[in-house]
Amino acid sequence: MPYIVSVILNILTSGLPCCLLALGIFLTYRLLDFADLTAEGSFLIGGSFAIALIRLQVDPFLATLVGTIGGGLCGYLTSVFYTKLRIPKLLSGIITMTLTASLSMLILGLTKGSSPFTNNVTLDPADYTIYSVFYYGDPIYRPLIKTGIMLVVVIIVFIAIYFFFGTEYGMAIRATGMNEEMGRAQGINTKRASIVALVLSNSLIGLAGAMFCQDLRSCDIKVSSGFLVIGLASILIGESIFGKRTFKNRLISIGLGAIVYFIIVTVAIELGFPTQLKNLLYAVLITIALSIPLVQTLIKEAKKRKENNKCLS
Amino acid sequence: MLELVNVTKTFNISGNKEDERTALDNVTLQIEPGEFVTIIGGNGSGKSTTLNIVAGSLTPDSGKVLLNGRDVTKIPEYKRAAYFGRVFQDPMKGTAGDMSVLENLEVAYLRGWTHSAIRWGFKEKDKKIFIEELKRFGLGLEDRLNQKVGVMSGGQRQALTLLMATIRNRPTFKMMKRDYVLFSGLDENVARKEFEDEYNLRKGEYDKKVSDIKNDSSLSKIDKKEKINVAYQEFDSAIRNKFDLTKQILLLDEHTAALDPKTAKKVLELTDKIVHENQMTTLMVTHNMKDALTYGNRLIMFHLGHIILDVKGEEKKKLTVDDLLKMFEEADKKAEN
Repeated sequence: MPYIVSVILNILTSGLPCCLLALGIFLTYRLLDFADLTAEGSFLIGGSFAIALIRLQVDPFLATLVGTIGGGLCGYLTSVFYTKLRIPKLLSGIITMTLTASLSMLILGLTKGSSPFTNNVTLDPADYTIYSVFYYGDPIYRPLIKTGIMLVVVIIVFIAIYFFFGTEYGMAIRATGMNEEMGRAQGINTKRASIVALVLSNSLIGLAGAMFCQDLRSCDIKVSSGFLVIGLASILIGESIFGKRTFKNRLISIGLGAIVYFIIVTVAIELGFPTQLKNLLYAVLITIALSIPLVQTLIKEAKKRKENNKCLS
Repeated sequence: MLELVNVTKTFNISGNKEDERTALDNVTLQIEPGEFVTIIGGNGSGKSTTLNIVAGSLTPDSGKVLLNGRDVTKIPEYKRAAYFGRVFQDPMKGTAGDMSVLENLEVAYLRGWTHSAIRWGFKEKDKKIFIEELKRFGLGLEDRLNQKVGVMSGGQRQALTLLMATIRNRPTFKMMKRDYVLFSGLDENVARKEFEDEYNLRKGEYDKKVSDIKNDSSLSKIDKKEKINVAYQEFDSAIRNKFDLTKQILLLDEHTAALDPKTAKKVLELTDKIVHENQMTTLMVTHNMKDALTYGNRLIMFHLGHIILDVKGEEKKKLTVDDLLKMFEEADKKAEN
């Protein structure tokens, strides 16, 4: 396979699960106005369930589903902390994130008879993932098949989310996120709407984790570190490059934002950027992404001034 | 009818008496259907707290809120929302800035409905209703349906909130039953039985009519359809007339205070028009004593958590701003002594 094609497939296999991650973060961070730090936790739980269950010879699709539900439960836990115990949003997420690290060791420990905990599990070559069940023919096409499956899942999820937020309930969630007081005054059960949004968001992130870890064919308790930043950066990059006019436009921006993010990272690493410093690269990228809106307004203002000057002279 | 019975509300309860602030002190108030009540009073006199307790965003420390004789003190705000349209002082509060005019109206239109996760939120037939309603406002909002509310001026947002507070889709039979059981003031089982009996009776009549029409061979297909339609309308309005309690109550919390004088006047006139056209029971809190005298048919003055003045009809018409000011000063003096 030509070098460039393998690079592109590499970008897509890392980027597509992150589309789902970014979408999940978008639902809480943007729509619900809830800076949800559960994300890395639910990503880890999704991955842990998928890998541990596959190792125990469970059907990979069922394992992925359990991972997704596991992520959703993390979201539910955070929402209980927030709505029932009235713990601030940020701390609710942090508590869940903290406890998932231990929870993940327990889940992964299911695969080992001797010890109840373990830090990492790697799949056997004979274990089937949701990708490898579709591996037919020449091994050279495997990355292509994998990318295809990811693409199908991502597209289905994005379409489903688009339709859900067009329904009455989806509209109620959006209204809750924008103005909770107005939501209540308009008869929306805003607590329940927050819970639904958090569960939905973290289910998507759990699914992303399950897909990502099956691509790696392993899971360890550090696998999710840095993914919150990746998700946020994807949203910000997407929004500043592809716009955020309508809901449809926003969803497309997020999906493409994740891909663009991985293009930048992959190109930098291919050009010789040391992989040990990749967290530095992530930090630089998110800083740039966050400052793009400011730069855009500055440019617009400068243009306007120029035009006005022309009119005067 | 809306009643407050011996309602008390204290803020900052922390064990330290000095921090405590009594917003309402044993207030009892009855508001008849169709009354347009203006509420005045100084800062912290309890007028906004009254509205918040009525709507359910605050729970009283003691006392009850009764709607049609039924205790609703413990029913959460979102469940009461079907009965109350609210406009806040802050124009930002009543609308969702990042949603379009159309979406905001659609959210308001679903007030009191269960939000379905399979029904499409945006409905073409509702759009026509919204355009009609917006045209009556005469602010040109009907041409800006797809604009985000966030870019509109405070006056426009407040006018939109006013419309959102007053429109609501007709409830379904199921919702009517639910609300009748909750708010009719009758015992739950009695209310449920009454609804079911009446419903079954009317439904039986309707079914009989339909089968008669269907068996009548002298009618053409189109005639049959039309007759069935008429029969359904009769059935529908019979149930609605008896059980639809949604004569809404409008709660306005200084809704023109953040607007410039010209816009404020316009929004107030609009309010008056809507209240009269729909004969809505209205509670309007205001700082402006002139407005309090000009509008409405009953005036209530709060002072330090007590009602110190409550006048209606002719008596209210005779009052002047000077009278009100004098009363304020007297109340202040009394409090100092």
